[in-house]
Amino acid sequence: MTAILDVVAVGKAFPGVRALTSLSMQVARGEVVAFVGENGAGKSTLLKILCGDYTLDEGQVRLDGAEVSHASPLEARRAGFRLVRQEPEIVPDISVAENVFVGECPRRALGRVDFPAMRAEVNALLARYGFAGMLDADALGRSLSPAQMHLVEILRALKPGVKVVAFDEPTSSLTSDEVARLFAMIAKLKAEGLGIIYVSHRLKEVMAISDRIVVLKDGVQTGNLPTADTTENEIVRLMVGRELIHNFKRAETSRPEVVLDVQGLNSRWHRDISFRIHAGEILGFGGLVGAGRTELAKVIFGEFAKSSGIVRISGVEKNIRAPSDAIAADIGFAPENRKVEGLILVRSVIENAALAVYARLARHGILRTARMAEAVGPVIRQLEVKTPSLAQEVGKLSGGNQQKVVLARWLAAGPKLLILDEPTRAVDVGAKAEIYRLIDKLASEGMAIMVISSEMPELLALSDRIVVMRDGRLSPPVEKRDATEERIVSLALGTGQAA
Amino acid sequence: MTATPAADPIHRLLRFVGAENLSLIIALILLVVLIATQTEFFFSSRNLFNIGQNMAVVGLIAVGMTLVIVSAGLDISVGSIAGCASVVCALMVSHAGSVAGGIGAGVAIGLVLGLINAVIINYLRVNAVVATLATFSAFRGVAFLIAPEGRPVGVLNETFALLGSGRFLDFGSFPGIPVAFAILVGVALAGHFVMSATVFGRQVYSMGGNPAAARLAGINLNRMRLWIYAISGGLSGLAGVIVTARTSSGQPASGTQGLELEAITAVFLGGALLAGGKGTVVGTMLAVLLLAVLSNGMNLLGIPTFYQLVAKGLLLVLAVAIGQWRMAAAETRQARLTAAGGNL
Repeated sequence: MTAILDVVAVGKAFPGVRALTSLSMQVARGEVVAFVGENGAGKSTLLKILCGDYTLDEGQVRLDGAEVSHASPLEARRAGFRLVRQEPEIVPDISVAENVFVGECPRRALGRVDFPAMRAEVNALLARYGFAGMLDADALGRSLSPAQMHLVEILRALKPGVKVVAFDEPTSSLTSDEVARLFAMIAKLKAEGLGIIYVSHRLKEVMAISDRIVVLKDGVQTGNLPTADTTENEIVRLMVGRELIHNFKRAETSRPEVVLDVQGLNSRWHRDISFRIHAGEILGFGGLVGAGRTELAKVIFGEFAKSSGIVRISGVEKNIRAPSDAIAADIGFAPENRKVEGLILVRSVIENAALAVYARLARHGILRTARMAEAVGPVIRQLEVKTPSLAQEVGKLSGGNQQKVVLARWLAAGPKLLILDEPTRAVDVGAKAEIYRLIDKLASEGMAIMVISSEMPELLALSDRIVVMRDGRLSPPVEKRDATEERIVSLALGTGQAA
Repeated sequence: MTATPAADPIHRLLRFVGAENLSLIIALILLVVLIATQTEFFFSSRNLFNIGQNMAVVGLIAVGMTLVIVSAGLDISVGSIAGCASVVCALMVSHAGSVAGGIGAGVAIGLVLGLINAVIINYLRVNAVVATLATFSAFRGVAFLIAPEGRPVGVLNETFALLGSGRFLDFGSFPGIPVAFAILVGVALAGHFVMSATVFGRQVYSMGGNPAAARLAGINLNRMRLWIYAISGGLSGLAGVIVTARTSSGQPASGTQGLELEAITAVFLGGALLAGGKGTVVGTMLAVLLLAVLSNGMNLLGIPTFYQLVAKGLLLVLAVAIGQWRMAAAETRQARLTAAGGNL
């Protein structure tokens, strides 16, 4: 077998994060290589380097013998590297055929688009890979289901000239029947001698479809094994390395008084949501991405509107119509995407940490700098934020330290209820454990905490009780002693029987 | 962890000016040396007096523009607002004979027009550039409509004229300090205080740096914009009042055209970022001074106006390009540092 894709000692760094360190791997013709690793392990970075979205800092990439280390996205495509993205960009108001050929429409004389040729090509590709009848070449982009959009993205990749196809989480929007068809197609691509990269969190699928597995952890390759010679357990061990999460045990600190009481809440996303969180309790929210958990946090926090329902804080009904109302009602919210919604990256640590308590630190609207440092400094030290000074720009800190600054903001505010949406997303393992200890400590001091997490071990380790959201509805709470990964997953997928 | 307050005056001055503004000061010194070696008239007290007086109008507008740009907005209508204020102020002074009433009316019309900008941006959800480009035209039209027959309104009031060409501390050959310049210094100090020491000012930086995060931290963005554009409008109104006093007439257009370009250039040259979240009143004021010296130097050296217009345009591009380049350089440096093993 000859390598069609050869990655040699590739490295890439971003401000505050070393995303990939000296990574080498190969894909042979007719071989399926799976990339696995936790969120932030470097899988996406590698894919983005290969497809030309990022330029590498060091190393070399060769595709079918030709060097493509610094290819632009267009050059990478032309060279034969095709990425099937997890969330494809579909133009809503043009046809499927045009979507497939977007940017590369076949032309006739005078630059006119050759619609019949496009249509014929799309239908030929559909028939060849066993998807005939699943997609109408003339349908508009906006009419497609998620699975059909994904198929359009696959067709884009399979246009002539393809040498290596990379699938990024290809099954996240597919039913099991569709997954079977996808696997049949991959088998066909293999037989045609293409190189295939398969990135997924779903280890069972990875074991079923791949020939070799590359394991990444914190940007470093921790394993590169033939699938036949390994087991799921070994892969998990290589992915996680230190078993920090499983070492974390939380003593229950729940107290009788109810802090948050939500009754019959309805909104654009939610149907009849009711739940309570006690002082000192951590309530975990499980569910699939897109089930409505982030939206629920934002409805409670006043960022999105509710259509009906009652929200009480410590027994008092609150009419929360904007985040400022929520803060006044002693609620704090650390959003999922800290760079987009949490932090002001160009401003200093102290400003970011003091943002929610400015009014408290001022008299007649005039800030007292000394007070600001007094209020925020101890919190920053307590969280062990690694920063040269309080005046450092937050954008220059590492991911874990940035997340701590978001938490510092709410610690300084001292809310009764703290909502944490994916509190350890894109945070390295060491910082993760520190954040767990911090959340645990806050709860033991009497704060009510709502944790949304898509990482199962995190959810199980942190939560006193777990509720699962599916299609905007909430399951009854599962007590810690009854909570297993299988139980939560089946509630999230709607496959299990209700308790 | 925290910066210790430095006791000696040099350090205090440096902290007030800000290390990031040092390059502006160096550029200013170089420019002054260059011009002074070409023409000895530059350092004459009369010329310095003129520079101070000429700075005032652009400077007042640039203080407001600093708030607007730091909040990630833009206000193109400032010159037109100044035109409206000039006419309204002149009508008030010449008909009612009240100097205070004229100043008040000029500032008030500026505030109202600024509020209109904010309302368009907030509630009609029109992007700030487009909204103020529209009012740039509309407000200029209003200025002509208010002026009887669209002509300048003459003002004959000696007290009022002091605002534009008055001076104090003039002894012997020393021409004194222009009143308009003193007003600018007062407004700039107030602006510096607001931006650096008040909750409102810090919130302006926050909303400019990341509006989504600012909103989730409890900041009411719409209310902030009402204040910011009203302040920008009010200061533009005050600038219009000073134009009226200097020319002894309410001018719908002359004297207030192109002010938006100069003010925006000054703010970017002063270190503000196009994306918002960064910029200081001190930096803006240094840039206003630099621009005033440059313009004065070009006049003294007899460079024709047409070349000056080209130079002003180039300067705006340069100012923004320097800001973008600095940001990219900082990012690369940071990535290199990370790659070298630091994980901070």
